[in-house]
Amino acid sequence: MSKRILFRWLSAVLALGLMASACGSDRDDAAVGTTTTAAPTTTQAPDGGGGETTTTTEAAEADPCEGVTLEATEIGVSEDTIKVIIMADVDSPLAQGLFQGSVDGVMAWAEKVNADGGLACREVEVEFHDTKLTPATTVEGFLKACESALALVGTTVLFALDTSDLNTCDDQAGNPIGVPDIGYITTEVAHQCSPNSFLLSRPGAECPYEGGPRDYTAAVGAPAVLAENLGVDFNGVFIVPGDLPSTIASAVPQTAAQEEIGVTWDGVFGVSGSATQTEFGPLVTTMRDNNSNFVYNGSNDQAMLKLKREAALQDLDVDAVTWLCSLSCYTPAFIEQGGGDAEGVYVWSFFVPFEEADTNEELGTFMDNIGTDFPPAWAAGAWIDGLLFEDAVNAIVDRDGPNGVTRQAVIDELTTVTTFDAGGWWSTTDFTTTNTIGSCFMVMQVQDGEYVRVHPEERGTLDCSIDAVAVTADPDAFALD
Amino acid sequence: MTFGRIRTSLLVAFGAALASLVILYWRYGADTEVSGEKIVIASVIGLATGSLYALSATGLVVVYTTTGMFNFAHGGIGVFCAFVYWEIVENADGLGLPPGLGLAVVVLLVAPLLGILIDLILMRRLRTAPLVVQLMVTVGLMVFLLTLANQIWQADQIRGVKPLIDRAEGFNIGISRVPYYRFANLVIAGVIAVFLRILLFRTRTGVAMRAVVDNRELTSLTGARPGLLSGFAWALGSSMAALAGILVAPDIEFNPANLNSLMLIVAISAAAFGQVRSLPLTVVGGLVIGLLESHYQQWISLGPDFTFANRAIAPIVLFLVVLALPQARLSVGRVSTNLRPIERTTRVWEGAFGAVALVVLAYVLAKGWFHFGVWDPGEWSSTGLNKGTSAMVLALIGLSLVPLTGWAGQVNFAPLAFAGFGAFLWLRLGLWFGLPDTGGTGNLVWLPLIGLLCAPLGALVAVFAARLSGLYLALSSLAFALIMANVVFPHPQVLPRVHTFQSLYLDVGFARQDFDTRFSFFMLLIVMFALGMFALIVLRRSRFGRRWVAMQDSQAAAATVGVNVVWTKVVVYATSASMAGMAGVFWATSLSSVDIRSFDLLAGLTIVLLMAAAGMSFPVAGLFLSFQVVFEGLAERLEQTENVEFLVWLLKDFFAKFGPGLLAIGMVVNQRGAIFEMGKGFAPILPWRRDAREELAAENARKRVTEVGGLGLTEPFTSEAIIALDTQLGIVDDVTPTAGYHHGVSRA
Repeated sequence: MSKRILFRWLSAVLALGLMASACGSDRDDAAVGTTTTAAPTTTQAPDGGGGETTTTTEAAEADPCEGVTLEATEIGVSEDTIKVIIMADVDSPLAQGLFQGSVDGVMAWAEKVNADGGLACREVEVEFHDTKLTPATTVEGFLKACESALALVGTTVLFALDTSDLNTCDDQAGNPIGVPDIGYITTEVAHQCSPNSFLLSRPGAECPYEGGPRDYTAAVGAPAVLAENLGVDFNGVFIVPGDLPSTIASAVPQTAAQEEIGVTWDGVFGVSGSATQTEFGPLVTTMRDNNSNFVYNGSNDQAMLKLKREAALQDLDVDAVTWLCSLSCYTPAFIEQGGGDAEGVYVWSFFVPFEEADTNEELGTFMDNIGTDFPPAWAAGAWIDGLLFEDAVNAIVDRDGPNGVTRQAVIDELTTVTTFDAGGWWSTTDFTTTNTIGSCFMVMQVQDGEYVRVHPEERGTLDCSIDAVAVTADPDAFALD
Repeated sequence: MTFGRIRTSLLVAFGAALASLVILYWRYGADTEVSGEKIVIASVIGLATGSLYALSATGLVVVYTTTGMFNFAHGGIGVFCAFVYWEIVENADGLGLPPGLGLAVVVLLVAPLLGILIDLILMRRLRTAPLVVQLMVTVGLMVFLLTLANQIWQADQIRGVKPLIDRAEGFNIGISRVPYYRFANLVIAGVIAVFLRILLFRTRTGVAMRAVVDNRELTSLTGARPGLLSGFAWALGSSMAALAGILVAPDIEFNPANLNSLMLIVAISAAAFGQVRSLPLTVVGGLVIGLLESHYQQWISLGPDFTFANRAIAPIVLFLVVLALPQARLSVGRVSTNLRPIERTTRVWEGAFGAVALVVLAYVLAKGWFHFGVWDPGEWSSTGLNKGTSAMVLALIGLSLVPLTGWAGQVNFAPLAFAGFGAFLWLRLGLWFGLPDTGGTGNLVWLPLIGLLCAPLGALVAVFAARLSGLYLALSSLAFALIMANVVFPHPQVLPRVHTFQSLYLDVGFARQDFDTRFSFFMLLIVMFALGMFALIVLRRSRFGRRWVAMQDSQAAAATVGVNVVWTKVVVYATSASMAGMAGVFWATSLSSVDIRSFDLLAGLTIVLLMAAAGMSFPVAGLFLSFQVVFEGLAERLEQTENVEFLVWLLKDFFAKFGPGLLAIGMVVNQRGAIFEMGKGFAPILPWRRDAREELAAENARKRVTEVGGLGLTEPFTSEAIIALDTQLGIVDDVTPTAGYHHGVSRA
């Protein structure tokens, strides 16, 4: 297989997968980490250091730790620590440093939790397992979690082909219940449909799945709004990340859903991460032949730049085309390397962007702790995975006390979460099923080398007015041009 | 083999490729409207891409023509130099040199120095080495350079290389725009080809460089200096690689893996078009591949079943070209300067003992019954068993290379292709033959059937291989691996997109054993490896084994004593394919499912690489494939210990990453592999290995030749020197205590 491709595909896949997960409501609720489960009341506590806020479980009337003799209630839960594992593809010759952002996100979250007094009266201990873009090391990570951790948090792996250990290994009591896996993204059916996996980027797809036509739900907010605002019927090309069957399959619901809202595809092209710019020539030819006015990039940021550059080279009127990119184009590299070629590109996001940290307290906390001005999107996702896990554990502590924390309790708690929005920062997510998906989104455009919000206009908000579209499509019959 | 015949063959290959394109269009491209405009656009795009391929391939040809070595590290050198260019030109924190100056520094200084270093340190020692060693060292060098580039220029920084000429400047051909920087690539590729052609064929230096390849000694008699010439050749080749890397970089996403993939496979295909010798034909080859790719993309859509077929165009061209070449003739009339010493073949009882010992040792280790002094590793956890399983499936696949490459000398870069075929059959067995409990969940009684069914594929490959030898055989196996990975295996009728390989069991009617736990599966793999190892040892002593080895030593000699070379090749390929196919069942079961990413070229190359470094002719070399897993496992154990950070880094970050490349490079000094050296040290202590002790003694005596050479002249008479002299004179051997007795000295 080729090769570092994945580094870009990942962002592409990430975006495609996440696009399918947009959901929830406008950020009109300042509550942090809210869920519909019996989550503890939360408050935002200014730290007195200049506006930094933290998410803390309010101890209600009494400190739950007071007078309790802490016990080792579960594998990974000792008297004084809770161990979680962050599994991510990082060190691989194919894509060096791939999901390092996820590791950073979980580490930052744990550091903040510990600074705030810990979780379930214990310190959070994080171990990083590098899955290295191989199936065997991914299984090894699941096994390691089975042997030593309460849960997996921030899982960002692309080669999770076998989740049997994740779902069936024994807990401390000897019950084969597996390990809770609060992950971020996956492209593999086995992982998408794993009952123990609570992926922030919902698959938006039917589970279990054995092949053939599959029911999907996909968000269509950005293309719908742009078509309406610009007053045009879109016809154009779709760029699919074409290196792996799973990345290609991830484009299936989005192409079908956009067709449902009136987009006509002049061509659906699979492109490799290692493609040269000249290889985008046939896409330009197709656009010219069909007078295309729309490009949707489900691939990585570099693919968008290559196509736009090739189109400009071939004297295509690039200004007459609406260039819409998934979240994969929301990177410093896109602006820095793209220069003028990045100008005008629309970027579809399902979370309040980093530039608006002042408008959302949880986002602000994240930005204060992550240690960079422009973190990768998966750092944010991993942090939010931490918040979800934190909420679940806090709910258990509230209900059963700090010695009630077990894998089974965490799984039970997460299974009932129907609306999680990270304090309005992220699209509301329903963890009770794999095939429901929301449609909250916002759109940015690159203007003068910056990401500028164009929809909805109010800073710190997401638009949830356009429903997701249900489609049925057969990934095996998905033909690329 | 005349040039005219070769050219005719290549034209046939090109014609076949073109005809295939037309047929594909007729069958699958009927919906696409053909217009002159589109043809022009596709052609311009194809020529632009092709010029990049041609550029990449020229350096490969230069090095092969002038040193006789095929340099798999060509892409790695290009990658490394392109990143050096980025560092000194594009990096904001770097030197900030102007692009022209930076290009000159890298192409005229850095790359030649790197080439000379490679020649001095590595390649000169490989002059008379077997082809497999030469290839493995360059593959190891490639892996090493890529790892180095990955470690130095990690993904924490955004990188890109701008073209030397502004992208916006260019001219039109019809409605198709040609930027100058791409046109420049085409011109540069052509100019370089002409320049190198003149250099190699019209200058005294060039002629001498080529002559050195044909006959080093004879050339040196004419006053040429072969060492200097080979250094110059490597410098030139590296410069070409660097230039190609820098010129290609603006058009791709700038990272080592991408750059290397472009400069490796496609460049090899283009170079093969020119027989790895003709520069003009190489440039034509690059352009042809570029044109085929662009026209394929323009006109043809094979549908979802062949999604990745476009990636196979270059390998298909490579395959066609190699097959179109005239059949290799048996090499006669030349005395081999690289005769292998006669090897002692392992006895059957030794093999049986080793196999049983392996199973027992693995069981004891996995159960944690063995303590290393103060360190008690304990019973293997699920994680440890998973690591062991990963290592053992590779070991099983590696075993298949022993008869084929280790004994018969048939270089095969496609072990995973055969393994994948076995996995496919295992999955489809139930569907096709209605066998019970197949289709992913399998009774191991059917395993021999997989072996039998895989054999014809091996035999089929052998039919092609019979036409080829040496380098072309290696290249065709590379093409075969890529075609299988991108065309055959992704087809849903071969490997469905959603499938699962379940656990294995053995049910023979009256007894049943399940292998559904990690420990039982691990032990199953150990037993299978032990059985495979034993079977190979028996096979090596058989008539087949002797014929394979004879064929490797000299096909001509083997043929003269009545060995049917073609039939022998068929048998060894079939045997290897059977073994790999059966190993594929375990491989797929360990992975749960396989898809295109399972057949990653680098993964396959690493298996071959490590087997070669360990000693491809020794079945036990398969265990060497576990070294990365062992190092990582040890590092993880040590991580829990204080004050051993450096050791952990050494095991986990250095050896595990750089190990494969370094081990292969190490074949420069140890061409027969690590197992051979270890065996040489270990064998003399075995009570029944008197032959090993005698061999050791003889070797020690040989080492002392120089010591006694000056005896009585520059060296004084000593008892040790007299003993050595006696031994050399054959008066006594030095393993007996009587050595020196006749001269009144004793060992005491």
